[in-house]
Parts: sequence; structure tokens; C-alpha cells
Amino acid sequence: MDLGPFEADNTVSCRLASAIPDICKTDDCCLGIDEAGRGPVLGPMVYGICFCPVSKKDELKALKVADSKTLTEEQRESLFVNLDEAKSFVGWALQVISPNTISTSMLQRMKYNLNALSHDAAIGLVQFALDSGVQLKEVFVDTVGPAEKYQDKLSQRFPGIEVTVRPKADSLFPIVSAASICAKVARDHAVKGWKFLEDLGKVDTEYGSGYPGDPKTKSWLLNYLDPVFGYPQFVRFSWSTAQTLLDSNAVPVHWDDDEEDGEKSAARQNNTSMLSYFNRTSSQANGDQSSGRDAHRFFTERRLQNISSL
Amino acid sequence: MSTKKKRSPPTENSSWVVIATDSIVDVPKTATGEPTFVKLRNPSTGSASLYLFGSGDSDLYEVKAFTEDYHSWFIGQTVQRDGRLLYITQMDPLYLLLPYLLKAGAEGKFQPVEQVVKDEDFPGCTRLLSCTRSLKSLHHVADEKEVGSLKFHRVSQEKTLDWLKKKVERTVSTLRKSNISVGGGVKSSTFIRVKQEEQASDEDYLRYAHGLVSEYISEDLRKDLLKHLQLPELSSPKQEPPAKKRKLSDLPVEAKDDYTKLNSSDFTRKPPKKMTAAQKSLAKVDKTGMKSLSAFFSPKVKQEKH
Amino acid sequence: MSANNSVTTVQLGSVSQAVELPIHFLPCEIEHDGPAEVSQYFTSTVKDRKHELTVSFRGRGLKGQEVNCPEGYTGLVLKQVHKPSSDQEDGAVKVSSTFHNLTYWNLEIPPSTDDGVVMAMAWPKLADAIHGPVED
Repeated sequence: MDLGPFEADNTVSCRLASAIPDICKTDDCCLGIDEAGRGPVLGPMVYGICFCPVSKKDELKALKVADSKTLTEEQRESLFVNLDEAKSFVGWALQVISPNTISTSMLQRMKYNLNALSHDAAIGLVQFALDSGVQLKEVFVDTVGPAEKYQDKLSQRFPGIEVTVRPKADSLFPIVSAASICAKVARDHAVKGWKFLEDLGKVDTEYGSGYPGDPKTKSWLLNYLDPVFGYPQFVRFSWSTAQTLLDSNAVPVHWDDDEEDGEKSAARQNNTSMLSYFNRTSSQANGDQSSGRDAHRFFTERRLQNISSL
Repeated sequence: MSTKKKRSPPTENSSWVVIATDSIVDVPKTATGEPTFVKLRNPSTGSASLYLFGSGDSDLYEVKAFTEDYHSWFIGQTVQRDGRLLYITQMDPLYLLLPYLLKAGAEGKFQPVEQVVKDEDFPGCTRLLSCTRSLKSLHHVADEKEVGSLKFHRVSQEKTLDWLKKKVERTVSTLRKSNISVGGGVKSSTFIRVKQEEQASDEDYLRYAHGLVSEYISEDLRKDLLKHLQLPELSSPKQEPPAKKRKLSDLPVEAKDDYTKLNSSDFTRKPPKKMTAAQKSLAKVDKTGMKSLSAFFSPKVKQEKH
Repeated sequence: MSANNSVTTVQLGSVSQAVELPIHFLPCEIEHDGPAEVSQYFTSTVKDRKHELTVSFRGRGLKGQEVNCPEGYTGLVLKQVHKPSSDQEDGAVKVSSTFHNLTYWNLEIPPSTDDGVVMAMAWPKLADAIHGPVED
């Protein structure tokens, strides 16, 4: 599997896809969706789709694809080779969501949570298959959340396609197993070959599983904690594991959209500008204007004020 | 998800980020003495403000701080917590001398300026007379008499107002060449900047420039200058309306609340109110779109890239 | 007698040794004064996409732009070399580094001419108008 396009810029999301088998453009197809790397505090999350003609389901089964979680890494690799060899009737596509995208989305001013991120990735992949001419009739999805709502959402979004959302779909439907193998292989490769944009010298790659409970992961997170920057972008800052470690080991950083404390929120309610808020509270800015008129709006609009000491 | 920490009080600064006019550092080799920051009496407020004397006290500069909350600096391989940006710009020493001249002028006598420019609270003020421009420009605001080698001055209201008028006119011409929005300051209640080419009148420019020059003179002089410019005092109690919130990100989140219920003495202790989901979405949604809308109406001037 | 007679000297001799350092204006308050691995963690991860600079800090997405100092003006970073022991005593600062442009970063919002730091750059030119000498 070639992750080149993702590795070229691993700060953003990236779509990778196989060639579309010709038969998928003419025959009714089924499509499976699964994800890999949702839980870990490290590395990308990968959404995968796999599709083949409904008439070829048995041939897919013969490839002996199974839920990627029950397989070893070597088994997944060899099954992916099998899938690749079946490219005359099996196609796949992946959405690699970078850890930086996960962090910045989840921590965004307008919070974009992991579920929304996941659903959008899945929908984007199905749309990609449709746009590529795949004759979709059935879609099977593995889910961790409530299946019904998700199924309704997908059915509405893709009328005319029979959508089945099911927990453990990856062990029930071979096409979902195939998708899970593609996603997991990509995730493994991405983590293993992670190129740190940060200039950290040689990085210890004993990340462990990446799950917060793994002691190896935990000790890696402690070793690679920078008091100012926190972590390289490889780490999902939005995970509570990362946040907790930063809260106790890094210097505090405050943003203007931090949970408002009483004073700040009151200042907003009172419709005073942050400037005057600052004037009142900062020991730096001695309120030169306090004894006279208000400063001209040229200065207040530009947050410029006289000071009485450095 | 993350626990938000209270901000610790700022520590005392030991470094400052400054944008300074080149003449402060490009000093001729013949100059003696180093530039010094001093506190002088602010002619508008009467209280202490920070100024800078150039090498040999030959020039005076004003210090202003760009102060926006929640900012810090990376400087090379360091962090500076204090996110202010100081501007050090040229300052006409006459603005600072004028209050002393006016005070002495009440006696109506011609006096040597050295006798007049004295201030127990701000001993540094005598250095103002060393500025190259000071003695040369006194005639703009005072009548002069020479007796032998001695010079005597008496402030002239008429001259002062003419001088200030010239200052205002200079400022108007710079404002016209700039893309600073001078219009709509009096009545605008929208968050969208008015397009200045269409809206700003000559009076808008004049009032705006008068307001700027007034930052450097007393309240009495401000009123006199307004008359001198033949501008009626605006009926509103304040000279300028409170600065309009221009940043949409600063929009009050509870726009439906009645702000008048909160008076300034007790609002700081008021606990934060919970927003309803609808208010939250109102407050959060579409800011970027609104932002670009205001950008659309603002003058199309891109920050120059080098 | 107030403390208004204490002054702070700018040691100009330091200017010749002051190097030009890259300077970034961040949309957050970092409770720290001192060394940081800025080039390793920050500068090396800045992406320039279609003239829009992007980077992230502590998992938050930033969008940035370079601004030049106004013509005739130079950026100086002043550092305290002598800390007065009381407010009556004189202090001294030196020029530790210089800059001619700075990169400012907004939290998620694309840079625009409405940004405070860009608007404030209009001040020097106006100051010259208000404070420049008038003709007779």
C-alpha cells in the first residue's frame, strides 16, 4: 500500500484509492465501511471502504477476509495482498485523517466531534465511490455508536441504497472485513512510517499500541512532552490522556475561547470590550485614561494605549 | 474535556517587543548620551505617561502599547509571555511644554521658559527644553521678546489655536491618504464598517483629526479648538461614542440580554450564565461568514507583502 | 516626591551586536518567559498553502500572515540588563534582537486587514502627521 500522498503532508487528511474495477461500474455492488485507529491517542484514524459486485460475494469470501482485529499484522498484510490481487472485481478507498486534523477539529471554537468527523469521512467515501461510477446497491457499516440513528442518516443521504449499520459488522459481512483490513493496514503503515515534521532528531518508536492504557504509550507520552509545545502533531491533543499530562507537566496556555470564568463572561455580558477588561485587571496597563476623557476611537479600535512604565 | 486553568497574575517583564522609529537607533556618531525612557505629565490626562528622549535629549518620542488580551510572543528560541507590542513614535515636545506655558500665561507676563517649565512631580520635564525642536517652535504658541541675549515668552491663545489648526489640517491630509475609516463614528450602530469613500464627509475627517490632536491637549483647549475649527460640539455627553466592537468574535454571546441591568460595580462578581443551546449556536455559527461580509465592505487594501 | 524621576536607559552599544530573529505573535497567552524549542516544534511545521500560513499549537489550528514594520521603523526586542531595586532607582535595557517583519497568528480565523495588529500598524504614519513640525 502506497501512503506517499499522505506522507507528503501528514498534517491534513488524505484520500487514497485503488483503481475502480470496470465490473463495479456495470454490475450492482455492495460496499463495506470500517475504521481503524479510532481509540489511540497517537497517529491517524483511517476510514476504509471496500466494494465488489453483489454477484462476487462468494469469491470475496473465498479470499478468507475476516475481522482485522482477530488477525495478526502479518495476516492482515497478506490478506491485503489477496485483495489487491482480486483487483479485477474488488476496489477500495481510504480516508486517512491526520492526528493534527483530529486535534484541531475537536478543539475547534465550533467543536467538531469525533463522531461527526467519522460520519463525514464515511459519507465522503461512499460519495467518492458513487462519483467514480460504482453501481452501489448495498452498504454495510460497522459502528461503535447507536446504529439506528446512523443508519437513518446514511439512508437519507443516499436514497436508493440499502444501508445496514450493525455493531460488529466487520465480523458479519466479508465486505466490511475487507474494508477493515484496508483501513488497519493503512493505519499500521502510517504509524510505523510516521515522519515527524518536528525536528526531534531520532525518535523512539516504541509507542506501544497507542491506546491510553498501554504503559508503553504512556511512558512515550511522558518522554516526548515539551513544556511549551506539548507534543508533536503525531499526538492527538484532544484526548484526555494528552490533556491531563499537559495540565500537570506543561506551562499553562490560555485562549480567548477558554471556558469562561465569571469575570470574563460578565465583561462580555456588560458589552465592554476586552480592552477595558484588560485595563481593569492588568497591572501593566496603568489606566492613563482613567483621569480624563476616553481615548479617541482610533486608539481604542486599535487597542493602543499610553503606559506609565515599561 | 480539558480542565481550564485560571490565569496566574502576570509576572514582571524583563523584555519588550517594540516597533521604533529608526532615528532612535540610527544616531550620528557625534551624539552623546543614550536614549532614556522617562515619565512625564501627559498633557491630556495630567497623569504620568512614558516617553523617550533620544540621544542627547535632542528628540522626544511617545510610547504606546498595543494591548490585546490573550497574546504572547515567540522571539527566536524564546517565549515572551507579555503579548504587548510597543510603538515608539516621534512626539512634538511642544504638546508637553504647552500646559506649563499656559499655566504661566495666566499671569500674563513674559518669562524665560526655563522658569516656566518646572514640575515637582515630573523633574524630567526640564529636559524637554533640550529638544532641538522645542525652542525653535515656541513662537508657534507664544509671543517672544528679546532683551539683550535673553529671550522671554508669553503664551498666546490665538497663536496656539492657529498652530493646533495646522496640526489638524496635516492630520486630515494624512487621514485622506490612508484607509482609516473616519466616517460613521457618530451614528453608526452596525458592526459593518461604512465604506469611507462614500460616507466620510469633510466634517468627518475634521472631527476625527480634531479628536486625535485632542489626545495631546487639555479638555479646555480641546473645546476651544473645536470652536476655532467652527465645529459645533456634539450633543452627546461624550466626545466620541464608545468604540464599536469591530471583531465579530467579540460579539456578546447573550445578545438578547439587557445590559443595562448590570452596572459596572457588581458585574464582575456575577457568575457566568448558561447559554441555551439555541443561543450557543447563534453565538457560534457563521462567524466566519459574517466576518468575510464585513471584510467585503471594508476598503480593499491588502497588507503589503514584501 | 514621586518615583517619576527614575529613568531607564537604552544601551545603544548593544544594537551592533543585536541579531535579527524571527518573531511570532500568538493568539494565546503562554505562561512562560524563557527558552523554547520554537524552530523544532513550530517553525518546522508551518505550512504555506496558497499564501495562507497554517500551523498548529497545542492542538489548535492557527492561520497566519507576515506583516512588515512600517517604513522607517524597525522592530527591537529590548531586554532588561539592570533591574532597579526600587522604583526610585534607574534601570537599563539593551537591544537584544531586531526584526523587520513579524508573523502574526489568528486562532482558526484567516488573517484580514481587520486584525488588531494590522490596524495598529497604521499608527506610526499618523503619529508623524500629528507630531511632525508645522510650517509657519
